Amino acid sequence: MNRKYLWLTALLISVMTVLSACGGEGGNSSTASSGQNSSASSAPADNGQPKDGGSIIIAVSDDPKALNPLYAGDRVTLTINQALYSPLFNINDGKKTFVLAESEKVSDDHLTYTIKLRSGLKWHDGQPITADDLVFSINSILDEKQNNPFRSMYVFNGKPVKVSKVDDLTVNIVLPEVSAAFDGALVQLYPIPEHIFKGEADIEKSRKNSNPVGSGPFKFKEYRPGEYVTLERFDDYFAAKPHLDSVTYRIAKDPNAANLALQNGEIQMRMVDTQDYKKLKDTGKFNLLVYPEGRLQYMVFNLNIPSMQNVKVRQAIAYALDKNEMIAASYSSSEFAEPAPSILTPDTLYQTSDLEKYDYNLDKAKQLLSEAGVSNLKLRLAYSNTNKPQESQALYVQQKLKDAGIEVELVPMDVTAYGNKTLDMNNKDFELNFGGYIMGYEPDAYKSLYMSNEAYNYSHYKNPEFDALWDKGAVETDEAKRAELYKQIQQTVANEMTVYPIAYTKAVVAVDNSYGGIEEARPKPVVMLEDLSKLYKK
Amino acid sequence: MTPACLGRRPVWEGNFLKSFILRRVLQAVPLLFFISLVSFALIKLAPGDPVLSFVTPNMGAEDVERIRQSLGLDKPVYIQYFLWLKNVLTGDFGYSLINHRPVLTMIAERIPATIGLMGTALVLSLIITVPLSMYAGSRKNRPVDRLLSLFSYIGISIPSFWFGILLIFWFSFKLHWLPSMGMRTVGSNSAWDIMKHGILPVMVLSFINISMYMRYIRSSTISEMEEDYVQIQYAYGSTRNTILWRHVFRNVLLPVVTILGMSLPELIAGAFITESVFSWPGMGSLGITSVSGLDYPVIMGITMLTSVMLVIGNLTADILYGVVDPRIKTAG
Repeated sequence: MNRKYLWLTALLISVMTVLSACGGEGGNSSTASSGQNSSASSAPADNGQPKDGGSIIIAVSDDPKALNPLYAGDRVTLTINQALYSPLFNINDGKKTFVLAESEKVSDDHLTYTIKLRSGLKWHDGQPITADDLVFSINSILDEKQNNPFRSMYVFNGKPVKVSKVDDLTVNIVLPEVSAAFDGALVQLYPIPEHIFKGEADIEKSRKNSNPVGSGPFKFKEYRPGEYVTLERFDDYFAAKPHLDSVTYRIAKDPNAANLALQNGEIQMRMVDTQDYKKLKDTGKFNLLVYPEGRLQYMVFNLNIPSMQNVKVRQAIAYALDKNEMIAASYSSSEFAEPAPSILTPDTLYQTSDLEKYDYNLDKAKQLLSEAGVSNLKLRLAYSNTNKPQESQALYVQQKLKDAGIEVELVPMDVTAYGNKTLDMNNKDFELNFGGYIMGYEPDAYKSLYMSNEAYNYSHYKNPEFDALWDKGAVETDEAKRAELYKQIQQTVANEMTVYPIAYTKAVVAVDNSYGGIEEARPKPVVMLEDLSKLYKK
Repeated sequence: MTPACLGRRPVWEGNFLKSFILRRVLQAVPLLFFISLVSFALIKLAPGDPVLSFVTPNMGAEDVERIRQSLGLDKPVYIQYFLWLKNVLTGDFGYSLINHRPVLTMIAERIPATIGLMGTALVLSLIITVPLSMYAGSRKNRPVDRLLSLFSYIGISIPSFWFGILLIFWFSFKLHWLPSMGMRTVGSNSAWDIMKHGILPVMVLSFINISMYMRYIRSSTISEMEEDYVQIQYAYGSTRNTILWRHVFRNVLLPVVTILGMSLPELIAGAFITESVFSWPGMGSLGITSVSGLDYPVIMGITMLTSVMLVIGNLTADILYGVVDPRIKTAG
């Protein structure tokens, strides 16, 4: 790079700025840029006591979709909604903590769920949060005209649940049949205000979503498309008053630029890639939270292809791979990814590691292959071409399976094309492929990935007995029996080796050192922190 | 030949100009129709399904199917196209498949940021390029010309995302002179703040622009310098500088007009990569998001708007040619 000319350009550009000064918006140009460059040096010694005041800028990768929790399914929108709206309750490690709800009672026949709300709750506009809002929210989800993507969670065998108001704070939800998994739907329910949305023909497209009225610790202040969403403290939040005055979600499209902005103090919190962990740690400016993201990375065997239909071949491939080596190769360290024994993640109920683990055993692999009468196996392994860990995994698998006499052709694909191909029920383009999912705490949610005729049954494994286990698991209300059913499910997948679990990966979130209360705010998959009201500026 | 800078200005006779514009506008209609058809087909041919970009496995299959129907994506592609066309002819560009906001609103929100960025870069680039490359062209193959050519080659070859990150690294990260991203400090409305945020992206865009324009204007200057009228001026005893700035300059405006015409659509469409690197909230950022989500109403909205600008840009350039160079008028 010719420095001389760079300087020339720089000089001319500064001339331009002066020239165009009169053309800009007629704002007050003397306004000092609001204390964004938080200098860590001026922070007083942290005595562990939360302080009030200050703000935080959190990076998100894109614009949010409609800021309406009934429709949110993507990371950015869920993250912002987490501060803007409150759920009825949270479930962490199988333990329920109530938020808007005060209690939840299930009738003896397991059909009626009675939810009682806390009294004195308020929406951000000061209106009380009542049973009507909850009834309205569930009925909106059920209303087919509202196109809710989560409707089927409230419908059982074609029959919807029935919601009714008992008194101002109490709601009864009656299921048409027993479900052990209904809490999995309720935990995702962040009610919306009836007085705002009543009569809206299409809630998702409603203009009201551009000025959302929520129930969370922070209320909506401003959204500038392509730039940021700012929320400010909600003083009437039912739990303790939030410490920070405001929270801004800044849209940072380019990950490299965002990391520089983070180190520059323009952003104070961001979910980063594991590769950046060391670099950021070494600056000494950040608190790096490494926590399980509830995500499983896995390899799928495509049973549409005859060579993959022999269970011995699939087992042989599993024995020929060394999970620990694979993790070291693709996630740099087991610090960021634990070897996964099961298809359920550790935060899911009834997850077990009492399963065949397929520890590396080349002799066994070769023996299984010869038992299967297979030699000179040639396989194609597909993965998303922009996914770095998957690429490393693929190279590892290619190398390692050579030892077992299996030749692997790598098929990197465009991410959308790849997604489509894996969902093609008749796909025969590749024998193996990688994927990852976050399914939450309720094991019933996983059935869409494993039952014979489900759209996300990537392995195309079809087994009526296996399906029956999922069906029983959904309705079994006895804890011990239910645990046993899901254990059998995990064992079936492990023994049949239709999906090879690779790793439970962790999320890495960098938070500027000048913030405290992170533990109380609870790191959480997808949304980074569960309760931003606990975060404070030291 | 008479030097073009003599007092008499070429005048387009009113009727001729009117029928010229009318004819071009009429020609544009089938062109725009054709563009819409091809772009729609290209989007639909691209691998991927827009619904899958926002579906998660915890949505039921029947929910996904219902969403597909509500978006009209279950219909055959040609029906989708005609429905789209029908609505567009009534001025309705539809809703984004992803954000569920009106396409025109989304575009309108982004246009000011993009015009501000691209416009500044364009004006700045022309101010720098025209004198610089005329100077270089008039001194063909001398060291100064070689040096500027080298600069132009670097500018053309350099990847803009890399150059952008490099600028961020030096000017924001190392020197702390300028902000690295976005268009303003959170909550700020000052013009100076916006300008500060604009400096780095404008630098990237101008650097690329200058490198490209320089090649046009330089070669145009070189060929003008070989024209008879320049030789005659030399024979009259004019200095090279006088010839260059008084006589050649006007003729060199022709490629500048071409550049302006070409840049008009860019002014609206923005710069995909540069805007992404700097998280500039313009059309380029919107374009990237909508393309990766196969959000066809938004992609089509941007494409059609850009195409209209292209047509207007070409038309304006053709009219301006006549103003700048009377020789062209008759060919019109």
